[in-house]
Amino acid sequence: MNEHHQFEEEIALYGLGVLDGADKAELEGHLSACSACRDKLAASRGTLALLAFAAPAVKPSPIVRERILEAFKARGGGPIGSAPPAPERRGLRMAAWAPVWAAVGLLLVAAATWLAVDNRRLSRRLSDLELAHSQLAAASRELEAVNARARAALEVLTAPQTVQVDLSPAAVHPEPHGKVFYNPGKGLLFYATHLRSLAPGQTYELWLIPAQGAPVDAGIFNTDSIGNGQVILPPLPSGLTAKVFAVTIEPQGGVPAPTGPKVLIGSVS
Amino acid sequence: MAPTPGQRPDRRDSDEGLIRRIVDGDESALGILYDRYGGLVYSVAKHVLGDSGAAEEVLQDIFHQLWRRSANFDSARGSLSSWLLVMARNRSIDRARRRTPQLEDQDAASLHGPSLDIESEAAQNEMAARVRAALQALPEAQRVAMELAYFEGLTQSEIAKRTGDPLGTVKTRLRSALASLRTVFRI
Repeated sequence: MNEHHQFEEEIALYGLGVLDGADKAELEGHLSACSACRDKLAASRGTLALLAFAAPAVKPSPIVRERILEAFKARGGGPIGSAPPAPERRGLRMAAWAPVWAAVGLLLVAAATWLAVDNRRLSRRLSDLELAHSQLAAASRELEAVNARARAALEVLTAPQTVQVDLSPAAVHPEPHGKVFYNPGKGLLFYATHLRSLAPGQTYELWLIPAQGAPVDAGIFNTDSIGNGQVILPPLPSGLTAKVFAVTIEPQGGVPAPTGPKVLIGSVS
Repeated sequence: MAPTPGQRPDRRDSDEGLIRRIVDGDESALGILYDRYGGLVYSVAKHVLGDSGAAEEVLQDIFHQLWRRSANFDSARGSLSSWLLVMARNRSIDRARRRTPQLEDQDAASLHGPSLDIESEAAQNEMAARVRAALQALPEAQRVAMELAYFEGLTQSEIAKRTGDPLGTVKTRLRSALASLRTVFRI
């Protein structure tokens, strides 16, 4: 039972960070009073994190790994407590001057209030400075690393023992691989990796080979620069029972029945 | 060594096992986690920021955070991979928009999304293919709106301004896109 069903859509939008203006204020008002919806928000954010996978895969420089592990070693490893050290407390020597202490007490309360406000401001400022400092330090390390690499590169080029070798394309390429998600009532998703790029006038064609009857065209596709290709929800006769899926190389535009070489094949288990 | 009562018998090299080893100061555990997720975090940062130097700084910063906060990590409240992805996205957007960190602490602290089974490279490749396929299946305008929201951190009004579409249209597109993705990923 859930009386907050009407907020579900807004919660996903809020989790994505797109709500603003009155929409945002209204939902934040509700969230502040509803722990069930706060839980939904956290779950929604966790799932939305998956969208990060849409970013094209690239690799960082190996130097970053070294820097991270060096920093870990330099700090002696292990975590750093998040709580700041407790402030030192000083005892005040009490005297018999009660009215003076009362006045001092009032002043201290006022000062403490002001300090609490100022402390928050200073904490924010400190975070900003820490960030700026870490960015400067990182820039400096980067420069040192670039210089060191330039020197190292020069040494390789000029050292007498250095050999020169010309490299040709290797015979071994990453193996092509494909994956089909097929549901006779709902449709088909297909993706492939490490396929070679085709000559002009050629295309890849996906085939659904049913338990009985001729192969059915399940769409043509081309690959991107790194050999990835995909077919999303191609038009297919409904309710076909698939036995095998295969990919062939065909003339541009595709053909009604497979003619070219098979590059991928897989049986329904 | 048998696990103590009440403790899950995790593999030593599972994310959770590695975090415990980092708490104990084990450098090799940090190296394994970096090899497992460093590329993913960097890919997100590079996509958001465009600049490899800036993306590497974000990557370095996030792994510093990881070991600094390792003792506070609670696997019952969210998977490490979700935390890293959220941090990668938020830190990069904050940096791209020249903001001081705004969102990640509370986001990460309150994160308890699905436990992502993406510890192997093959599983990460498969997840990437599934997410890309799901986004490719969206109509172009919806996909653009989602990408502006997720990778540039724009709000609905900012997206409307960027694309020149009415705000109501943008809202509808985002709702429709999330509804489609919800059926795939149960958002």
